[in-house]
Amino acid sequence: MNKADSILSQTKSFFAEIGDMTFFAGRFFKEASSSPFEFKELLRQCYNMGNRSLLLVSVTGFILGLVFTLQSRPTLMQFGAQSWMASMVSLSIVREIGPVIIALICAGRIGSGIGAELGSMRVTEQIDAMEVSGTNPFKYLVVTRIMATTLMLPLLIIMGDAIALFGSALIENLKGDVSYLLYFNQVFEALKFSDIVPATIKSVFFGFAIGLVGCYKGYYCSKGTVGVGEASNSAVVYISMLLFVIDFIAVFVTDIFI
Amino acid sequence: MGKSTSQKIKVGVFVVIGTILLVATLYFIGNKQHLFTRNIEIYATFANVNGLTLGNNVRYSGINVGTVSKIDMVDEGTITIQMVVEEKTSRFIKKDAIASIGSDGLVGSMVVNIIPGKSQDAKPVIAGDTIQSYSRIGADDMLSTLNTTNENAALLTSDLLKITNKILEGKGTLGALVSDTLLAKDIRQVVVELKKTTLGTSAAITNINAIISKINYDESAAAVLLSDTVSANQIKNVFANLEKSSKDINEVTKNIDEYIQEIKSGKGTLNYVLQDKDLVKNIDSSMINIKEATQKLNENMEALKHNFLFRGYFNKLERQERKEAKEK
Amino acid sequence: MNSIKNIKPVLELKNLQKSFGDNHVLKGFNLKLFEGENLVVMGKSGSGKSVMVKCLVGLIHPDGGSINIKNQDITTMGHKELDLLRTEIGFLFQGSALYDSMTVRENLEFPLRRHKDKIENFQGTEILVKEALENVGLADAIDLMPAELSGGMQRRVALARALILKPKIIMYDEPTTGLDPITAKEIILLMRNIQKKYHTSSLIITHDVDCARVISNRMILLVDGINYAEGTFEELSNSSDPQVQAFFKN
Repeated sequence: MNKADSILSQTKSFFAEIGDMTFFAGRFFKEASSSPFEFKELLRQCYNMGNRSLLLVSVTGFILGLVFTLQSRPTLMQFGAQSWMASMVSLSIVREIGPVIIALICAGRIGSGIGAELGSMRVTEQIDAMEVSGTNPFKYLVVTRIMATTLMLPLLIIMGDAIALFGSALIENLKGDVSYLLYFNQVFEALKFSDIVPATIKSVFFGFAIGLVGCYKGYYCSKGTVGVGEASNSAVVYISMLLFVIDFIAVFVTDIFI
Repeated sequence: MGKSTSQKIKVGVFVVIGTILLVATLYFIGNKQHLFTRNIEIYATFANVNGLTLGNNVRYSGINVGTVSKIDMVDEGTITIQMVVEEKTSRFIKKDAIASIGSDGLVGSMVVNIIPGKSQDAKPVIAGDTIQSYSRIGADDMLSTLNTTNENAALLTSDLLKITNKILEGKGTLGALVSDTLLAKDIRQVVVELKKTTLGTSAAITNINAIISKINYDESAAAVLLSDTVSANQIKNVFANLEKSSKDINEVTKNIDEYIQEIKSGKGTLNYVLQDKDLVKNIDSSMINIKEATQKLNENMEALKHNFLFRGYFNKLERQERKEAKEK
Repeated sequence: MNSIKNIKPVLELKNLQKSFGDNHVLKGFNLKLFEGENLVVMGKSGSGKSVMVKCLVGLIHPDGGSINIKNQDITTMGHKELDLLRTEIGFLFQGSALYDSMTVRENLEFPLRRHKDKIENFQGTEILVKEALENVGLADAIDLMPAELSGGMQRRVALARALILKPKIIMYDEPTTGLDPITAKEIILLMRNIQKKYHTSSLIITHDVDCARVISNRMILLVDGINYAEGTFEELSNSSDPQVQAFFKN
């Protein structure tokens, strides 16, 4: 009986959290569409997120392309299809692996950062202080951050993809004697707009999810330092889950329209 | 601002269910599972389904019209497959349509191809019908046949090589025949005649063909006799065979012609010898050796002349020569 | 003191109620703050002092009762009117609540950014910031980050920030909490000086008896969600009620 009760209450709180997050998203759209706009803060957040994630995304992307190519080589060589490497790697990185991996990395980097930052601001009453000072903290903190992640993530992902392809080209150049010119010619021959555009639209949603969940968790952080840790931790968990759900839906939608 | 917990739960449940429904809808639309169209089931029986699995596409004249929904082994050598076909396209599939199993590309998945039947006025299939099937050779069988053919071809060529070698060396009756130019001329004459005859035959056959096809359409007495499809087909077959044989004859004569041409251009035994580069080289080197040897002999001779033991003899010889010259 | 009865209160709480789930924190709390007085509300930890003061500035929405500030009921007020009214109220938070991603200057400018109408021009901002910092004696800390300041200095910057719009009412939520006694005393004296300089009304939430003794004109004891006792420091400290005595016993 006790266990059934706890399962019931857990399910309830799960649904309540999703519902609450939906209200939060609704409030975001409402607040984002009404003046005043915190434009300066938006720019600052964009700079912060883009700039601070740049190195991480670059390194991850590079290694991703490198390892992916290195691991695919033996299989392709069995078929004698090394010349397909460029098109295979570029398609799978641009369409799927790049966006998902980089979004997950950013969930860990940006999402948890937002969760912890807003969480600690909530705990130390800075959010209350802002409200008392006549600044809408939702606009100032939440709207700017969600918009910043939504704008920055596609850029980060495109850059990560490019660096991953460079990593792949490096391996092909070293191991397969393929010139960079040939490799990138093959890449651009293989890639179509119908590969890049859906992936970019998808990454916009990834960015929105990262900002939304991070802000939600931080904004409604419970009291105390434990609450801050919890906020940043559960933000990452929720974002990762949500990213896969979005990816799942995106794959189906792409399948229908392209 | 503050929403009550029950409100949140309601919205949460709504969002989750909405997401699941969205995904499901997208999945079915994307997969074109014919969920929203009315379908009928039709059947076909095969001896071998070549790795056909559930969900493989069914094509009618190349258009996807349905999927394979069930594969049952009735007894050894009889496999019944059930196909779900859209109702709106099923009216084009007639009862005499033929199902066959093919592959989608060389390494692609299997598909069931339904080929339209021959007759014009067959009725459309209805649910539960079993249509005819035709087992085509699968890629596996094809490859194995190809393999044996290859082996045979290899044996054949090696035998052929032996034979041709022998012919070239002039051994055996055929060799003798070939080396005899007069006979070859005769043969050539014969072949030319043969060629003319075949060409004539070919033209005749074409004419007959045309006549037969005309007969088919005309409503003459012969037409009544011939439009009996069975005998007409047989006759057609006979003519087709005839045509094929004459073509073959043509081919053979052409080959013989080429052979003779080769013989004429002097590709006989001597030619073979001349073309053997090793031999030529050997002869060459022998010549050089001989040359060298004569030269050496000359030198030896000269040396002997100057030797005191033989000087007298050589002087005598010289004198004798001079004397003889004077006498002349 | 004698004329208190005749003046209209600048702030009035009537029958304020607030509960979180089954936890009824405020059960009909009443309070009146008159112009120019320093009112101290004392209570144990978790007795609902902070909740009460957050209701006053609209951070928490009460379940029942009315809150009147300058004859306006803030419980029925829209966002814009509330923001306007908040410029009349200074608020010093428990843990200073300085924005730690900004410098002291930016912290002080923050309340001004939405109330440009209150400042004549940009130079006005600079002057206001300097003046507020001079009032708390930290004029040279203007370009430091909050993390570089000590706890006492942070509290002073927070006080400067609360005062920058020259509010008529200032609310202090535990102004001396987390500070050593000497620094606490400095802060209290600073509060008194400011009160004298700008003639503000102050509402001070505390559980610190020393603080209450120095600054209070009048005191309210908050026990079990209601205003249990009211009076001057002397009256209450000499009370025979054991619940009241418990606050003053050391």
